Amino acid sequence: MRAYQEEYIANVKEVSRYTARRRPNGESFEEYLEEVVTDRERVERKVKRNMELLRDGLFPVLDHILDANEEDIGELFAFAEKLLNGREELDVGLFCLIHKALLNLARLKKDRSGIIRELYWQGIGYNNLCNKLVGLELTDSEKYVTRMRLCFTEAAACLKYFDEIEDSDTRGYILRSLANMSLGTFKSPSEKIRTVKRSLLILQDKEYQKKEPTLPWNRYIYMAHQQMAASISYSKESTMTPQDVECVMESVYIVYQNRLKEVEGKEELLPVRTRFSYYAIEYYCGLDHLNGLLTKLERLMDATDSADFSVESMYGMISLPAFYCQFLNQYPDRLQERKEYLERIYLKVKDYVEAFPESAENESLFFYLRQLSKTFIETERSIPYKDFLQMLQIRFAPEIYVHSWIVGTAAEEFCRIIMDENPSFFDDIDFIREIRDPAEKKRRVPQYAMECGMYHDVGKLNFMNLYSLTVRQWFEEEYEMAHMHTLVGESLLADRLSTRHYAEVAKGHHYWYDGSRGYPESYRRLNCQYRQMVDVIGLMDWLDNVTYTARLYKGVEKTFDEAVEAAIALEGRRFSPLLTAMLRDSVVAERLKAAFAKGHREAYRRLYEEYGKAKKRLPE
Amino acid sequence: MEMEKREKEDRLAKTGYVVFEKEGIDFGRILYADDGACELAGLKREEPDLTALLKAAESLDTDRVTLDRGHELWILNTAGSRQMRLAELERVNAALEDALKAAEEANQAKSSFLSNMSHDIRTPMNAIMGMTAIGLAHIDEKSRVQDCLQKIKTASAHLMSLVNDVLDMSRIDSGRLTLNEEVFSLADLIHDIAVIMRPQAALKNQKFHIEIGQIYEESLMGDPLRLRQILVNIIGNAVKYTLEGGEINVCFKQNLTNGVSSEEQNTVRVDFVCTDNGIGMSREFLKRIFIPFERVNNSTISKIEGTGLGMSIVKNLVDRMGGNIDVESEEGVGSSFHVEIPLGVAPLSRNGRALPAGQTILVAESLDERAVMIMRFLKEGGLVPVQKKTGLETVTWLTEEQFEDRMPCAMLLGQKLPDMPVLELAAHVRQLAGPEFPILLVSEEDWAQIEFRAARAGVNAFVPCPLFQSRLLETLSELIARTGEGGEASSDFHTDYSSYRILLVEDIELNQEIVVEMLSVTGVQVEVADNGAKAVEMFEASPEGHFDLIFMDIQMPVMNGYEATEKIRSLSRKDAQTVWIVAMTANAFVEDIRLSREAGMNEHCSKPIDPDRLQEILRGRFK
Repeated sequence: MRAYQEEYIANVKEVSRYTARRRPNGESFEEYLEEVVTDRERVERKVKRNMELLRDGLFPVLDHILDANEEDIGELFAFAEKLLNGREELDVGLFCLIHKALLNLARLKKDRSGIIRELYWQGIGYNNLCNKLVGLELTDSEKYVTRMRLCFTEAAACLKYFDEIEDSDTRGYILRSLANMSLGTFKSPSEKIRTVKRSLLILQDKEYQKKEPTLPWNRYIYMAHQQMAASISYSKESTMTPQDVECVMESVYIVYQNRLKEVEGKEELLPVRTRFSYYAIEYYCGLDHLNGLLTKLERLMDATDSADFSVESMYGMISLPAFYCQFLNQYPDRLQERKEYLERIYLKVKDYVEAFPESAENESLFFYLRQLSKTFIETERSIPYKDFLQMLQIRFAPEIYVHSWIVGTAAEEFCRIIMDENPSFFDDIDFIREIRDPAEKKRRVPQYAMECGMYHDVGKLNFMNLYSLTVRQWFEEEYEMAHMHTLVGESLLADRLSTRHYAEVAKGHHYWYDGSRGYPESYRRLNCQYRQMVDVIGLMDWLDNVTYTARLYKGVEKTFDEAVEAAIALEGRRFSPLLTAMLRDSVVAERLKAAFAKGHREAYRRLYEEYGKAKKRLPE
Repeated sequence: MEMEKREKEDRLAKTGYVVFEKEGIDFGRILYADDGACELAGLKREEPDLTALLKAAESLDTDRVTLDRGHELWILNTAGSRQMRLAELERVNAALEDALKAAEEANQAKSSFLSNMSHDIRTPMNAIMGMTAIGLAHIDEKSRVQDCLQKIKTASAHLMSLVNDVLDMSRIDSGRLTLNEEVFSLADLIHDIAVIMRPQAALKNQKFHIEIGQIYEESLMGDPLRLRQILVNIIGNAVKYTLEGGEINVCFKQNLTNGVSSEEQNTVRVDFVCTDNGIGMSREFLKRIFIPFERVNNSTISKIEGTGLGMSIVKNLVDRMGGNIDVESEEGVGSSFHVEIPLGVAPLSRNGRALPAGQTILVAESLDERAVMIMRFLKEGGLVPVQKKTGLETVTWLTEEQFEDRMPCAMLLGQKLPDMPVLELAAHVRQLAGPEFPILLVSEEDWAQIEFRAARAGVNAFVPCPLFQSRLLETLSELIARTGEGGEASSDFHTDYSSYRILLVEDIELNQEIVVEMLSVTGVQVEVADNGAKAVEMFEASPEGHFDLIFMDIQMPVMNGYEATEKIRSLSRKDAQTVWIVAMTANAFVEDIRLSREAGMNEHCSKPIDPDRLQEILRGRFK
């Protein structure tokens, strides 16, 4: 690798260390805050340096990629490999950018092996992006899933030339692409099952195996069976045909037997994941009824050791409750008798996450928790869903938590000012209009504004690599992807009682007031009863972004006064003129400025306290 | 016998009439007497003695009919004619009653029309006035004002259509309506109708389907405006009287005159059927459907607006065109309108070039009905179509064909694929097959709505649905011909930019060559500067308006792209501010895009340069 590449990788890792150093370690709050500020400055310096490295080192190479020699290409490839691999995810965006350029080059040179290889890696990059969209409806994430699948499909189509291709690496890429065609979400489980089945047929073909005996065929086949077994996890009973069930059953059995062999003679138990697949397929085959399956699931969850933080235990502690909720969501009539258990299991999950050492660094834990946040069932006595989401923010995305707190605090103050001038300003919102007592309304609106601030960016939890682990400014494609946080946020908040009033705010806070720009397209300001609050949060969010939060990944940096001036300049277009008119009042602007500063400090204090509490709960 | 006897009596019988004016209770005088009365009284017709006539009349068999308080009509008869007179009177009375009833009904319809019209006119007028007031009250809230203006626009359009209907009816009534006779394209007509009606149906979540049956002649003679009026009226009613989520099916075909071959036809009968599953009509109403000022009243469909003149106008127009219109309907089930109109055949002027006979063409379409039609059209055009029903099958097949050097001459992308959005497939195929591979989209969507996304995905041309063979083959042949001639295929058809001049600022020779090569196919004139300072120099030295566009690299020796742009923008010549400058760089950060904007550049194009992106920029600037 070139020196700039080595330095870039080292910087990324260093940034990751700074952002991970969030837990106070016996120091006072003031000391802690100072450290946070220092770390942020360090990150900013690293980010700037990384951009210099890319500008001076990488971009000229990409610019002249047609001139690049074998050595350059090899180094680019090695660099990309460091950025995303099975063990580490350092910079997926850059990984995709490099492989996109290499694919273009291979296409221009009509280099078949190069095309196949680069299609495979491009597909892997897209697959990583798709994983970040867990929880979104397929219609919203379809673009990325399709791109991934098209890459693998084109590479897999070269199977026809298996005999002509002599190097085993390229042959391996073709087979791996074939197996990967079934990754990601499908419109129906049958489609996924059909795709895995087709891959399995080819992978099990002895003729192919004879042609390239050096390839790890058994591993490919076993992984395809795992894919097939995994398809049960999200399949609804009614959408699986008997043929589908048969295919899945066979794969589950193979995986189960394999796992049994693995633990034979050891003191280990059969992995939870395997046991769950086995129980589930028994249910799908009609060998067990739903109550039976749910009871077995409860036993599996109860048997999981809450002091064990291995991936298997994480699966048992968090992923199984997610599936448990999914079944109850499908059959709500079963909820009543299992409500108490469900409420208990949430508390268990909460304790587990809080006791988890270095929880923020654990990708799997975070992935499982996002799964649970998607299927979460809120009952009268369960943890409120909004508390669950807040826990995720504090544990995994403190930057988002801090930003949300700042926006909430500023919005709260701004709403106090608005309510003093115009008590009916928010009366388009049904539940606000219904508050008859003026004093109560004056108290409730700012409180609601604070809550909206706290949850408006909850969708960013899915895009942590963009927002939280920033190692450079965004590329255009990443900017586009980041837009989806509004839809993810809405989908997380809309269905539960404790969060439904924040959903439209999460959805619409980046939409322009005059509708000419912004996102998402599906937000219709004038049809939204919450629009005045959406406007308030949109303005506060923007003010904090340009003055503090977003400067790392967008490269915009303004003082508060400059930001207010810029907001006024966008009056009637980006922002509601009713709000910007208030900003013109210097007293209001000063009060807001103070609220931002107060919010900033308070947010970190709360983090400090929360981490302090969590530290006490950590196992010895 | 009875008849003869009556006729004889009629001939013998004599009748006379006088008008008697009362004076007091028992007195009066004759005001008028006809010839018959004078003859019966034996008096001279020229100067009758009215006193004598009165006496004579009083002695005759007389029927008295009160005309008003002061006047009576006396019918004087000779004996024996009474039966006949009574019968005649009854006949006259019946006729009078019918006439009165008709007049009352007409009056009733006109009153109801006036009442409806005043309501119908008032409704949009209220909206216009109300929305204007709201807009004025919130003049600072741009989005609110926009919303008001949008509503005012809708209400005005509705008001206009009311006025037009009334004017049309008045023209028809007074016989002033004339029909034009001009050449028109049936394909264009149907496409226009689809563009007008689809959004209206979509607003009510209705399934709207247009099917094209056997079409012999697409170029016809007639009055396309009035034809459009007929069709839009009928389909508009179907949309109006069908509930949310309902279904409307429209079918067009042509019938030939019996015994004449399609080549010898001077006229064809255009057959149009519109069927819906809406609220339907009662038998009673069906009888009155073409009477002016009638419309269905139904509580399920509220707020139906209209004059009630539409169907009457349609009937009149169809009659004037020598056609027929039939309606079948059942309440709660739906309606079906069937119109058949004879139209003259115009000579078809086909400008397209011949298709490469025998070449393979890929059709990616999952809708069987549509695919069958596309395949038939293509086969008839001499091509060999291969259909793929999913995106993944398409890519697999294309990859194999590419490696075996058997690429199809084009890809025709249909409306729907089960496994992916069609434009995602287009984008991937564009990368896979290269910039010159023709990709044609056949879609029901309005091209104006999807053009930007489609062109960005790499689609070269568009054929709207409902699909017509001539249009499909012409578009295809033109697209393939351009590719065959070495012309670029990645833009729309009219990309001759030879009158435009571009300044390419790029320091690397190889990159210069690539971009010049990409641009050359459009005919655009390219001048090259190899650093920023040279670019400023060339711009300054050129006459005003010389360059239409500048492609500016960023990292260059001597002077970088930002600085060069700032220098150009600061020049004191008119075009320094207006010339379009596009940043061309591998620097892909959002900040780079912002910096290039701040330096005065208008657009950003990432490296390595994508030919489609280049075309998109040219299209955007030079259209």
